[in-house]
Formats: sequence, C-alpha cells, structure tokens
Amino acid sequence: MRPQKKVFQRQKVCRFCSDPEQPKVDYKDVKALRNFVTERGKIIPRRIYGTCATHQRQLCEAIKRARQIALLPYSGTNQR
Amino acid sequence: MRRYETIYILRPTLSEDEINTIIKNTNTIICTGNGQIISLDKWGLRKLAYLIKKESQGFYIYCDFATDTANVAEMERKFRIDDAVMKYMTVKLADAITEEEIETARGEHEIAKAKAAEAAASDETSDDTNEETDSETVDADEND
Repeated sequence: MRPQKKVFQRQKVCRFCSDPEQPKVDYKDVKALRNFVTERGKIIPRRIYGTCATHQRQLCEAIKRARQIALLPYSGTNQR
Repeated sequence: MRRYETIYILRPTLSEDEINTIIKNTNTIICTGNGQIISLDKWGLRKLAYLIKKESQGFYIYCDFATDTANVAEMERKFRIDDAVMKYMTVKLADAITEEEIETARGEHEIAKAKAAEAAASDETSDDTNEETDSETVDADEND
C-alpha cells in the first residue's frame, strides 16, 4: 500500500473561543452572520472554519432566526 | 415577568403617523399589567432578504421589553390581524427579570446606541460600499 499523502492541515481554532473581543453570536448582526453562510445562503459546515460545537450550534440558531425575519435569505442572492 | 425581544416589519408604504400609532398600540399592550419597555429602536426601511407579501422592503422595528406571557399572546394576535404588519418574531431572552436587571439592561442599550451612532458617523463614507461585504469573507485561516 502506498503511504498516504500527508495533507497539511492547520490547527483550526474556533474563532469565537479564541477571541474574547469577538461579540456573542447574535441573530441581529447580519454582517457577522454573512461570514458563516455561502453565497447561496447555506450554512457553512463547521469542518470548514473549525468552530466549536457550542458556537456552531449558536450560529445555526442565529442564522435560522435571521432568515425568519428576512435579514438573511433562505436561498439565493438575487435579493438582498 | 419574562424578558422578550420582538422585531416586527411594517409595510414600507405607511406614513410616519401610521407607524407611530402602531408602535404606540403595541407598547400599550406590552405595558398593561406591570410590563415595561426596555428599549425601542426603529431600524427604518430595509431591504428584505426575500419578498414578504410581495414587498421587497420593510420598516423594521425592534423592541426589547419585559412583560407577561398573556400580553405577548395578545400582541401577536393583533399583529396577525393588522394588515400593516408583514412579519414579526418574538424571542424570549430571560425567564425572569427583576427591576434592577431592567435598569441595567436599559443602561446597556444606551451605551450600545451611543456606540452605534459613533460608528455610523465614522463610516458614513464607506456606507455606499456596503454591498461588497458579501464577497469579503474574512477568515482567521490566513495567518499560518
């Protein structure tokens, strides 16, 4: 068997945990939430950014709330 | 008493007076019994992320308050009847709140407002470039 290629992987740290300056996850803060959704409006999985479970859960909740009140789209970017 | 926050979206076609009467009516409902308003913030006309009742814009109003459950139910019932309210969302912030906590929360809101005003004044010029915030996903991955 060929030795597996070593994929360089950086240690990913949850940006909410690492930075005390970072404000709490808030569904009203659309600008911050937009970093965690794709252009299509999908929630970015935590394996990409390495957010910890707690914060990913909070983010998820916040994004869903923001969608409910039309701050974020359910899908698509044709509208803003 | 519980602490809630509500965001409601009004039709963009309403006049200033109509908006104010709706706000006043909601506030009286909230304040019946011993409910209290902690903060009321008009976010103003905003573009909606999707169409609501065929409108692409909406007048956002944010309200932070402490009141009883019955009042919230009544408020939401009124919202559903009122044609001017396109959408609303109420979130419970705390199961119980004391007078002191209400006071401190009010203070916090004042500070936040002052900060927001400051920020708005400083990036008045960069306001037009708001649309571009989409593409710039700032991630912490950059520094390895």
